[in-house]
Amino acid sequence: MPRVDLPGKKFRWRFLAAIAASLFAALAANALLQQIQASQPSHIPSNISWTDQTLKTVSAGNALRGLLLAKRCEHCHGAEGFSQSPVTPNLAAMDKFAIWKQMEDFRDRKRSSLVMQPIAASLNGRDYADLAVYYSMFPAYPDPQDDRSFPQKLPESAEITTAARLIKSGDGLRGIPPCQACHGPVAYRMGAPSLTMQNSDYIFAQLQAFAAGTRANDVNMPMRTIAGLLTADERRALAGYYGSGSALLPGQADGSQPR
Amino acid sequence: MSRRVHQVGFFAAVILIVLVIVGARYQEIDLPLLRSLQGHNRIDPLSLHLSGEFVEGNLGVKQDADGSLTLRILAQQYLFIPHCVVLPAGVPVHLRITSADAVHVLAVTGTDYKVTAVPGAVSEASMEFTRPGEYDMPCHEFCGAGHYAMRSRLVVVPRDQFPMTEAEEGGRCAAR
Repeated sequence: MPRVDLPGKKFRWRFLAAIAASLFAALAANALLQQIQASQPSHIPSNISWTDQTLKTVSAGNALRGLLLAKRCEHCHGAEGFSQSPVTPNLAAMDKFAIWKQMEDFRDRKRSSLVMQPIAASLNGRDYADLAVYYSMFPAYPDPQDDRSFPQKLPESAEITTAARLIKSGDGLRGIPPCQACHGPVAYRMGAPSLTMQNSDYIFAQLQAFAAGTRANDVNMPMRTIAGLLTADERRALAGYYGSGSALLPGQADGSQPR
Repeated sequence: MSRRVHQVGFFAAVILIVLVIVGARYQEIDLPLLRSLQGHNRIDPLSLHLSGEFVEGNLGVKQDADGSLTLRILAQQYLFIPHCVVLPAGVPVHLRITSADAVHVLAVTGTDYKVTAVPGAVSEASMEFTRPGEYDMPCHEFCGAGHYAMRSRLVVVPRDQFPMTEAEEGGRCAAR
């Protein structure tokens, strides 16, 4: 049998030390790379990302618990999700993910509001989910017997034409996508609110804030970009069109859900 | 003698088991060092805005340490961010693009450039524009209900005009 020549004890130690040193160097380089990638100073629009875990958290909301919590919200947002003032958003039949994201952003101070920030701070993530599920279950159509600001007065016909064009087909030459491709009723983007029953003054204020950069909690900045491309007249026309209920689908007027 | 052979066999078995475990879980290993060594361009499309190279402040044109230009574009339904890009003529530009949702294709009209943006991966391309002017950059892959309005612009300026005004910081067009 031939003799197996294994390296001497001293040599083996050196060999092991070299392996350990290179392993250590690799781990250190890895940690350094991680740190470099993490340390980019930049604006973070929102701490939310739509992972499976997030979707589960929101969908687990309890509507009955939401009903009890919503007693606090009724004064401004209305007992059935329709507010009395056109400045305050309607929440009836709103996407639960949209409501939940805004509450999280209010708490994280990603979206500023003197009213909503303290309210969001007094609730927790589970309350947001309960409230979001509760409001998303309301019927879509506003009851005219109630004291509601929606729908508002129809804007001038020139504004209707401008708004209908932007909502239905956008402006391809300027690169403005149609509103209905993300805000319904044609299609919805994750976390985007339905606008077909939203108040005009509220929509106009938000478009102005997005364009000015004072509201900057849109993930990957679609709304800051689009609102910046729109002229002030177009923003007003869009808000008026949505606020008058003109974007509602024909079948929706009898109380059917938009989704 | 035989003890030695047994020892070698034992170590070989251990190494084999470790290799099998690592091999089976290979897809789950995500080390930045490993990624850069392999030239991997994996990226999580759901958290682009939280960390990594496609956070808001990084989009647009950035000058690297060696003076070369890198253009980072984020494609999403139905916008390319930034919406309008300024580049110098006759300078090689390294494009890095990814998508946050669907597959998009960034096409520069009037040139041969067409780069696919895939969610979960970074696509790269080397570009150089010799002719100053304005180019359209529409999306060339059907991506959803607003696809036909998905279009951004590229403005190529003469090289000496490129270090732009302050408003055009990061290769974004001013007042457009």
